[in-house]
Amino acid sequence: MNRSDYLELAARGLRMPVGAHLVLHEQPDPEAIERDGRRLGEVVAAAAERYRTPLAVPLMDLTIEKAALLEMLDVPDDAVATHHFATWPGDDIFERVAARMPTHRNVRLEATCEAIRYVAGHTALEPIGMVIGPLSLLVKLIADPITALFMVGRGRSAAESPPVRLVEGMLELATRVILWSVEKQIAAGARAIFVCEPAASTAYLSPRQIAGGADLLERLVLAYHRRLRARLRDAHVELVFHCCGELTPEFVRAFATLEPVILSLGSSRKLWEDAALVPRDVVLYGNLPTKNFYSDEVCPLAVVEAQTRELITRMRATGHPFILGSECDVLSVSGSHEIIRRKVEAFMNVRVP
Amino acid sequence: MSVLEQIAQAVIDGDEVSTPKLVEQALVAGTSAKAVLQDGLLKGMTEVGRRFREGEYFVPEVLIAAEAMKAGTNLLKPHLAKAGVKPEATAIIGTVRGDLHDIGKNLVATMLEGAGFEVIDLGVDVPPEKFVEVCLSRKVDVVAMSALLTTTMPMMEQSVKKLKAEVQPTPTIIVGGAPVTQEYADKIGANGYGRDAATGAELAKSLVINKR
Repeated sequence: MNRSDYLELAARGLRMPVGAHLVLHEQPDPEAIERDGRRLGEVVAAAAERYRTPLAVPLMDLTIEKAALLEMLDVPDDAVATHHFATWPGDDIFERVAARMPTHRNVRLEATCEAIRYVAGHTALEPIGMVIGPLSLLVKLIADPITALFMVGRGRSAAESPPVRLVEGMLELATRVILWSVEKQIAAGARAIFVCEPAASTAYLSPRQIAGGADLLERLVLAYHRRLRARLRDAHVELVFHCCGELTPEFVRAFATLEPVILSLGSSRKLWEDAALVPRDVVLYGNLPTKNFYSDEVCPLAVVEAQTRELITRMRATGHPFILGSECDVLSVSGSHEIIRRKVEAFMNVRVP
Repeated sequence: MSVLEQIAQAVIDGDEVSTPKLVEQALVAGTSAKAVLQDGLLKGMTEVGRRFREGEYFVPEVLIAAEAMKAGTNLLKPHLAKAGVKPEATAIIGTVRGDLHDIGKNLVATMLEGAGFEVIDLGVDVPPEKFVEVCLSRKVDVVAMSALLTTTMPMMEQSVKKLKAEVQPTPTIIVGGAPVTQEYADKIGANGYGRDAATGAELAKSLVINKR
């Protein structure tokens, strides 16, 4: 599929959640499936079939690239989740990681690739890969990201500020690992990559600093994403860009410059207003508040239906290409799975005149 | 501008260099440690909380202000101890087991400090047993729990149950995080729900400090 195919899907009124997690957690052994590429591929395909979409969107597991990187650095498995760098470990880390990349195998990344191979080889679905974005990986890698990023916004250089050195070094390292993951997924048959960058948001990057002239979006987000984008373009692979964080219009405009086929945003955004910020050949995706679907008080079924009607109606009025969906991946919550599933079915099926 | 006002302003500006210098200056001039804390550092942090609540400040500004306040507080601590000034109450805070998100939790910790609490940060991925263990080992007035994921929220319920079963009297329990709601807080038996960091801290203060 290329850009015109995505625009066509939008024109046909496609609706779809990012729903693999829901289907996965209906299986008796979800954790085993996450490590079994063939079965994971079947789950991804089943989610696409259930929600009547040609797009095979995988699990949104944003822990894979951090785990893979730290494995390459011989961090013990049980320390990976909580491991953080407090200072820049030195430039030789690039060589250490580069030496391990050609042969390193992360079990969940291998399963993701095998799942892509399954989708590409056994279904007519569009196989899509999934990676975390560089800034979002950075904030998982360093101990105090917000303070360090604020120092960047104050104009400190790497030479004068160790936290800024840490940010710049880790962003470079993160980008290399993400590119490595992307290469593997492209080699497995991915025809688009879903890049998740939730940290590129006001939680980490101060809109006040940006308004004051700090080039945070360029320096910390776009510069690295353009490298990913160039690689995807070379491979004729499309970009789906996702950020469900809190944003200001400057963020949305910046993301659009990466020319994704789909721009997926969180429920804090009014997509009908964002339509004016995004070129007409970029499909806007989202952004029903699926994180609250578990709660019947905050988000009753009738509200889901009303929001669906409002979103579709308002987006039609803008004339902007749009696919109705979830604000993020729809997570299965223990004890609330059926409630969530019912609301997803509701937005898939509610009639809008 | 008085030196106390300058301290408050330095916190508001997130100036971690000037804040301790001004604290030092105030102490040398004979200002009491309690006044420096209450009318300088905490006053500045209260203003930061207001600006955050009203959308003027964002997360980074709050955390940078907290760094500035911490730089001042560190200098102040021996003076406060010497003067017998104790925190108004003690809160422990953590992101529940299975959840590694810490921004919201850190914000609430910052706001609680700004509201006059001594805060013990248990970090992320905190099991129910840890909340109980700390409550049994020292006097705790407030237990604050955070969860960002819908998938980890049920761990809040387990933590609340364990605290109520094993810690008597049970401290005030407040919960928060993106997917958490008042309905959920009520359902699991928490004493309060903070829809954002500033209101969470205000709630804790109203439930504990203001009731005294």
